Amino acid sequence: MGRLKKFFTSWRIILLLLVVAFMLVAIRPTPGNEGVVIKSVAPNSTAALGGIPNPKPTAPPLTKEVITAINNRPIANIQEYYSFVSSLQPNQTIQVRTNRGLYRLVTQEAYNLIELNETEEILVQEIEDNATINRTVLRPKTLSEPTGVVEDLGLRVDNAPTTNIRKGLDLQGGTRVLLRPAEPADVDTMNTMVDSLKERLNVYGLSDIIVNVVQDRPAFLGEPNRFILVEIAGATEEEVKALLARQGKFEAKIGNVTVFKGGDDVTYVCRTAECSGIDPQRGCGRVQDGWVCGFLFTIALSPGAAQKQAAATRGLGVVSSPSGNYLSEPLRLFLDDQEVDSLNIADDLQGRAVTDIAITGSGAGISEEEAVFNTLDNMKRLQTILITGSLPVKLEIVRTDTISPLLGSQFIRNAWLAGLLALAAVVSILMIAYRRIKIALPIIITGATEIFITLGFYALFGWNLDLAAIAGLIVAVGTGVDDQIVIIEETLRGSREAVYGWKERIKRAFFIILSAYFTVVVAMLPLLFAGAGLLRGFAITTIIGVTVGVLLTRPAYAKMIQILYED
Amino acid sequence: MGLKDSLLHFYDKKYRLLLVFSILLLVTSIGILGAQYARTGEFVAKGVSLKGGITLTLPAEEGDSHALQSALAQQLHGADLNVRSITEAGQLKAFIIEAADVEQDALVDSLRTQGYAMEEGTYSLELMGSSLGQSFFRQTVTAVILAFLAMAVVVFITFRKLLPSLFVVLAAASDIISTLAVISLLDVRLSTAGIAALLMLIGYSVDTDILLTTKVLKRREGTIFERLVPATRTGMLMSFTSFSATMIAFLFTQSDVVKQIMLILSIGLIFDIIYTWFQNAGILRLYLERKEGGR
Repeated sequence: MGRLKKFFTSWRIILLLLVVAFMLVAIRPTPGNEGVVIKSVAPNSTAALGGIPNPKPTAPPLTKEVITAINNRPIANIQEYYSFVSSLQPNQTIQVRTNRGLYRLVTQEAYNLIELNETEEILVQEIEDNATINRTVLRPKTLSEPTGVVEDLGLRVDNAPTTNIRKGLDLQGGTRVLLRPAEPADVDTMNTMVDSLKERLNVYGLSDIIVNVVQDRPAFLGEPNRFILVEIAGATEEEVKALLARQGKFEAKIGNVTVFKGGDDVTYVCRTAECSGIDPQRGCGRVQDGWVCGFLFTIALSPGAAQKQAAATRGLGVVSSPSGNYLSEPLRLFLDDQEVDSLNIADDLQGRAVTDIAITGSGAGISEEEAVFNTLDNMKRLQTILITGSLPVKLEIVRTDTISPLLGSQFIRNAWLAGLLALAAVVSILMIAYRRIKIALPIIITGATEIFITLGFYALFGWNLDLAAIAGLIVAVGTGVDDQIVIIEETLRGSREAVYGWKERIKRAFFIILSAYFTVVVAMLPLLFAGAGLLRGFAITTIIGVTVGVLLTRPAYAKMIQILYED
Repeated sequence: MGLKDSLLHFYDKKYRLLLVFSILLLVTSIGILGAQYARTGEFVAKGVSLKGGITLTLPAEEGDSHALQSALAQQLHGADLNVRSITEAGQLKAFIIEAADVEQDALVDSLRTQGYAMEEGTYSLELMGSSLGQSFFRQTVTAVILAFLAMAVVVFITFRKLLPSLFVVLAAASDIISTLAVISLLDVRLSTAGIAALLMLIGYSVDTDILLTTKVLKRREGTIFERLVPATRTGMLMSFTSFSATMIAFLFTQSDVVKQIMLILSIGLIFDIIYTWFQNAGILRLYLERKEGGR
């Protein structure tokens, strides 16, 4: 049997090649990808009005929309993009070509809002004692003045990604804030706050954002301290602090009248199974091209809010529809003055001051499961909006990191340089020690394979690759090289002295390798939690790297050496 | 007799001397850490990520870190300042300014008067609350202790013999203590990344000790010394390749996080050679010679 044939019939080598191929699909390296990727689209901006959709934050980097040309002029990178955008004039029509389609945007002129030294009277409607009254209030007169400059398109962009690996904050620039609840909070409370924060930040069109609960030790070791970690790529510290400082003002209006506000007016939002979930009366049903389900949950209003609701609905008409009778004006929900949802009001609520009301809505999907999932998702979002006005626990900022985008891209280039030089040093030492390329080369190839497979896990699970993770990668490959040296020494060196067969020699090598492996893994485990998990990247890459080494690449390497040298 | 043979001869005959040397080194390291503790109240100076404060990374092509530090110290009274430069192959790339007991705006303004533009987005800034820093420090110290105990358990399970396992644990502990002593002499401020490196050092340090103990204790061919020599060769090669990689990464990286990890690993790998092949090998030989009657 020829050596080459032996190579490709060894299951250890075949398995390794299969895993590499799988990771190739996950990482999808596409060098030379040109254009600028759309990271987020601001609401009501020129880009949003032109129909460019805001990407999902969880979408893998390569699936995000990429701008390739504007007005038929190719855009290869962010420099070209910014130089084009800076040449724009107001009221100009531009054609933006992306990898998905063509958008027509009309640029707008930016206005400055100037507060004048005068006041003006405006009419507001308020409800008091069951009656709508008109009242005039004084407020400073403002003037919007055209600036002659074009308004920002509302796109946040970056150079088109060349792999599916997400870059961590310290490699792409942005702001990270660690928030601690003023008083200890349990997991449910923390998750509620995370949902509220996400909903709030979404209102501002920040989609490239991560909000997570982190804890400093596993729960089985006693009650951990919990934190909320907010990471916003490309945002400055001021922007993030301003966003977090906003109260998340929630208002519900009928017509122009505010009937209740977040906080005091909504006293309870039911989120347990008894009074929230798929509406038992409507359930799910088939429609033309899919399924539709209805949800229902109850909320409690303060007596004052119930009175206002009754007064505001008294004069409305009733509209009939197949699914029931509704009032002519919907209840519209606003978060920080942006409309986020609207609800139909059932006709039996008209003019009645009811404190416990049921909120219903629906969701659709192609299959029944998908419809149920989407319906519950819609319900959860609505519940989050209703409770957003009042975060259950006050949060304080305990740590902020702002990383310059310039430094981030420099770090990536530099990490490559350092990595390549380190590799060159290892190759030189191995060449000096063994004087045979046949030994040194497989070590390098195995090391490179380990890096590739570990990066593949990052692409696969959508983890962020940060600097600590890169350091972990270098360190894991270092232990890999050490292990391969043990294999060589046990197999090739030992052959002179002892008469053991290959099996015994490889078994001996693996005894040492496995013991060393377990010590590295147990030493890294505490780091998954310590420091609120900010060094988790280091621990994860090291553990994955050495595990991939022991399970996949080391056995394949031992086999390669055996095929090359056993005679 | 060639150089190699005379080295081997020395290693064979004078192993007790080498053992004594390694123990003196350990005692000296403990002494340094003790003196540091008596002087400053902590074994190793902590960086802001472990005690709270500000870390500002400012890209710069020229300038002197000491001059910048004294200029800032004059303006910001009472602030605990530390300025380091980050270089890539000798070329200055950035200053890292660590400051405690000072407001962020005051520091930025002060840098502005030093002629830096300090435009938003051109520098990086980390702000760490002091109580959080202290709790991170407690947690990471707990992490190191837990990791060490877990390592000891793995070593005991591997060898199932009390004394040889203890020798391995002692070598790893000596390695960490001496590395910390050098870190404190170099006036490095330990960060959370540095603690991660110490944890990794446990792994790096123990693998050569496991190699040594396996070859000498579990194999039966030849004399103790004949079993020891190939193990030493393998282990030295392992340490040198790892050291060359970590040292190069230390010299060329611009990231403070990566730099401290690589510095600690490089120092630790040098000590690992001494504590594995002088200390652990020496004690193991003494132990086996007494047990096997010199065979």
